[in-house]
Amino acid sequence: MTQLKKTYKRDVIIELTTSLMVPFILLFGLYVMMGSGGTGGGFQGGTILSAGFILYITVFGVVKGREKMPESVNAFFKSFGLFLFNGAGWMCILFSLAAAQWLNMPAFWPVSDFMGIAGSRSFLIAYMIDVGVGLTVMAAFVSQFFDLAWKEDDEMEGDEG
Amino acid sequence: MKTPAMKPLTISGLITALLLIALSIYVVEDLPAFGDENSPANKYVKLFIIDEDGLVESLNAGVLPSKIKIKIEEMGFNKEENYPTLEEGNYKIERSEKGSLEGGRLSEGGWDVLIHEGEIFYNEPIRYYFIKEIDRNLTVCRYNWPVRANERTEEETGTTNIVTAGLADYRGYDTMGEETVILTGAICVILLLRRRGRL
Repeated sequence: MTQLKKTYKRDVIIELTTSLMVPFILLFGLYVMMGSGGTGGGFQGGTILSAGFILYITVFGVVKGREKMPESVNAFFKSFGLFLFNGAGWMCILFSLAAAQWLNMPAFWPVSDFMGIAGSRSFLIAYMIDVGVGLTVMAAFVSQFFDLAWKEDDEMEGDEG
Repeated sequence: MKTPAMKPLTISGLITALLLIALSIYVVEDLPAFGDENSPANKYVKLFIIDEDGLVESLNAGVLPSKIKIKIEEMGFNKEENYPTLEEGNYKIERSEKGSLEGGRLSEGGWDVLIHEGEIFYNEPIRYYFIKEIDRNLTVCRYNWPVRANERTEEETGTTNIVTAGLADYRGYDTMGEETVILTGAICVILLLRRRGRL
């Protein structure tokens, strides 16, 4: 009886559709997340990325989803996103050592040398701040989903035993 | 009871924390009291400088001199570009003393040109132009944050999207706090729901 509950009811149509859709959802999430002149930003892009992962976990089960998104990667992304965001700010403050304004240049010399100050600000906005926000949002939502799914599994086991 | 010896990882973490604290103290020392007056959002957008010959009397009388009006409209702030017109009766001019608080903003001394746009929900005149007198010259500026964001965002941040620049650059501390809130929420869910030893 316990084995019956553990095994997931497989459906070919749902699994095939999901495995076809997930890569495009993730690609769309990256498109929304990156780029300073783009359509969205970090929060929206991270939410779309996490929606892709959550769809995968819902269809293929928690155990198989855990192989795609292990806890080490999840924890790394969660803290690394905030580290990217804060690191950009700290770096700008360190290089300029002026009033504490976000992205106060002449910071970040390796980029500003060949891109100019406005270009390096744009680079920081597009590829450090937005990506940082997106990674944190994605990892936080996926981890919350895992925790809630396990909670449900544990409660079902507890009912039986 | 013997105190355990400090591991190298602990020592390096301690040094990093101390450095960050010192940097934070340095930065906080440098912060102006109520926002940076020289920050991009609070500066004026300077338009042009013009000689004052008889223009001051006209400004004091509450009439915008036609010289200034024509020059502003030549710069592109005219009716064809959907900017409010500077017709007679459409605007009013107020003189503010240096150091006084005018509409929540510290005045630098000069004439403000207020234009009544006739909005439904904000039915009050809006400060558009700002005229300052320095050394027998009149400097004409435009104000305010939306105007500046419209015209200077691309030049200052290299991004074409005003909202992105506002979110990530001009109001970066706000976004940092939001992201920290999300991380803290995730950590709280882990602490409350996760069973020990199950990763």
